[in-house]
Amino acid sequence: MRSVAIYGKGGIGKSTLASNIAAALGEMNLKTLLVGCDPKADSTTNILGRRVTPLLEVMRSNKNPPVESFLFRGVFGVYGVEVGGPEPGVGCAGRGLIVGIGHLLGKLDIGSFDFVIFDVPADILCGGLAIVVKEGYAESVLIVTSDEFMSIYAANNICLGLSSLKAPSCGIVYNKATPRGKRYVEEFSKRVGIPIIGSLPYSEELRWADKLRKTVIELSPNSGISHLVKSISLSLLRMEDGKIPDPLSARELEEIFQLLTAESRTCGCSDESS
Amino acid sequence: MYTLRDLDADVIVLHGPSGCCFGPARLLEKEGVKIVTTAMSEDELIFGGERKLSATLRKVDELFNPKLIGVVGTCASMIIGEDLRRAAAEAGVIKKAICCSIHSASGDNTLGAVAVLKEAMEAGLVSREEYSRQKHALEMAALLERTRGTARAEYIPGSPGDDPAAVGSLILRTLEGGGEVACVLNAKKETAFLYADLFLALADAGFGKSGSVHFVANLDPKIGLPRIRSYSEKILQELSARGIEVEVITGGLDEYPISGERAREVLFDIRPDLAIISGIPHAVAVEGKLRTVAVSAGRRAASNLKSLGYDYVVNEEGAHSASLGNRRICKSILGESIRGLAGGTQ
Ligand SMILES: Nc1ncnc2c1ncn2[C@@H]1O[C@H](COP(=O)(O)OP(=O)(O)OP(=O)(O)O)[C@@H](O)[C@H]1O
Ligand SMILES: [Mg+2]
Repeated sequence: MRSVAIYGKGGIGKSTLASNIAAALGEMNLKTLLVGCDPKADSTTNILGRRVTPLLEVMRSNKNPPVESFLFRGVFGVYGVEVGGPEPGVGCAGRGLIVGIGHLLGKLDIGSFDFVIFDVPADILCGGLAIVVKEGYAESVLIVTSDEFMSIYAANNICLGLSSLKAPSCGIVYNKATPRGKRYVEEFSKRVGIPIIGSLPYSEELRWADKLRKTVIELSPNSGISHLVKSISLSLLRMEDGKIPDPLSARELEEIFQLLTAESRTCGCSDESS
Repeated sequence: MYTLRDLDADVIVLHGPSGCCFGPARLLEKEGVKIVTTAMSEDELIFGGERKLSATLRKVDELFNPKLIGVVGTCASMIIGEDLRRAAAEAGVIKKAICCSIHSASGDNTLGAVAVLKEAMEAGLVSREEYSRQKHALEMAALLERTRGTARAEYIPGSPGDDPAAVGSLILRTLEGGGEVACVLNAKKETAFLYADLFLALADAGFGKSGSVHFVANLDPKIGLPRIRSYSEKILQELSARGIEVEVITGGLDEYPISGERAREVLFDIRPDLAIISGIPHAVAVEGKLRTVAVSAGRRAASNLKSLGYDYVVNEEGAHSASLGNRRICKSILGESIRGLAGGTQ
């Protein structure tokens, strides 16, 4: 059994990536489980084609619900479960995750799956949200980032969290990749010591599939974007043990952007021409 | 919660798991305050429990028709950011509710008391002057506990204190030999009902009016909330019924750090052969300068007083829970020893 948790800045494409990777693995006939850990409960919609009642919601009326009440089977035989959590502004999502995942792993023989993906909300914010990594439920972390400063900043925060938890990352997925921004992500990857295992360009197909509550693997299996997702999925499947990242200081982080921008000016290659 | 009781709250609602309610409820219900819990469960931790709180408040209002409700947070509800006032407003009891959003990890335990008093002031139950006076006393208390109380060391091992009979006999021998004894009460609130027994015991032993015992006490019936004043009044009445007149009143029952300072000055004026200090003796810093008997509650307090340098220490074990619910002076361990050694009472 292999397992990853997907972390990254809010809205960066974690859930899109998680569901597409899950579909790609399912298509390879691997028994795959996608665990949505976001209170929004929107991680599995592309796999299941609909919103399902989250586990914590089910547990409000039944403290010991049977597996069938929260585990569902979707496209390519991929299994999906949403942990769920409170509405924004009340309660404690972190506590929800601790309780929900605890119950899930008590009920489900996780070892019987070939691959398990945890889709985690935003970055590591509190002890509760870090539970997936802390307790070793996911053997390593996949970091998603674009080339925007705030996104790399969030990626670095994740690295900080992982380094203090002594938890490994297996790689970075560079999403909404652009020819111009590539060097920033590459430099970041080099400095924290975590490889980029794949890039996805901005893709209308991906967006469109999301709207239809489907994955591109199902909708356009032969498209370029599908192949890129499959490539990432294979990397994950064949990955070696991850590595604990070396997080950067705030100054080092800004340096990446300043240095590279200055470099491109002095060598005469404008941003446009690169 | 004790401050809410002092304000004569009819019901206190603890917003948290039921376990947080168990200990305080057992002690405070003796005082006639109803203690209710929202019994937060894991579901409320995750999804929020304000709705359960307002439902509980509505029920409390219906069931007990209280004039004043205390709404108190716990670690669990405060960590997840529950809004006590919003729930009280939702339940329609905000006008008669005092909400205290302090929890056990907030800092000194006096913070909760100050927060309640502030709310009470804003609700017009307590004047600004009274609030400032009590706040000052509470801050002094926190400081005193850190410098001279059991909070001054990370760990204080308990000690049983001295044999009450031996200490009792020392007191009687001093008096019988013509020595001067000062008996100082410097107690906190209801515990005065227990420590005042030493005054009665000395009277029972025949030294109530002899002039050789100086009675000093923080029993000012004009200081504090009505409830606290009534304690002083009742005790003074009971003492005077036995012919005991308190020579110096050092302050109110809710300001032991301040009355303690005053008691120290009084003791240095009198310079007795033996000073018996009961309640919170470490607030009366005369150790080493006078021969002292410290009377306080608890094994850790006893060992702390010994190490501060009080000559004799009597542990009035269980003084607080024994004094709760009392509106008359109740028997103390040392008091009974004195009575026994003096040949009993008629
Ligand atoms: N490579 C891409 N090209 C185009 N659109 C993308 C791409 N990746 C993600 N998106 C779009 O970005 C939006 C946000 O994606 P998604 O919901 O997966 O983000 P997220 O990281 O899970 O967000 P959150 O932190 O809120 O859970 C979606 O509309 C998705 O279709
Ligand atoms: Mg998401």
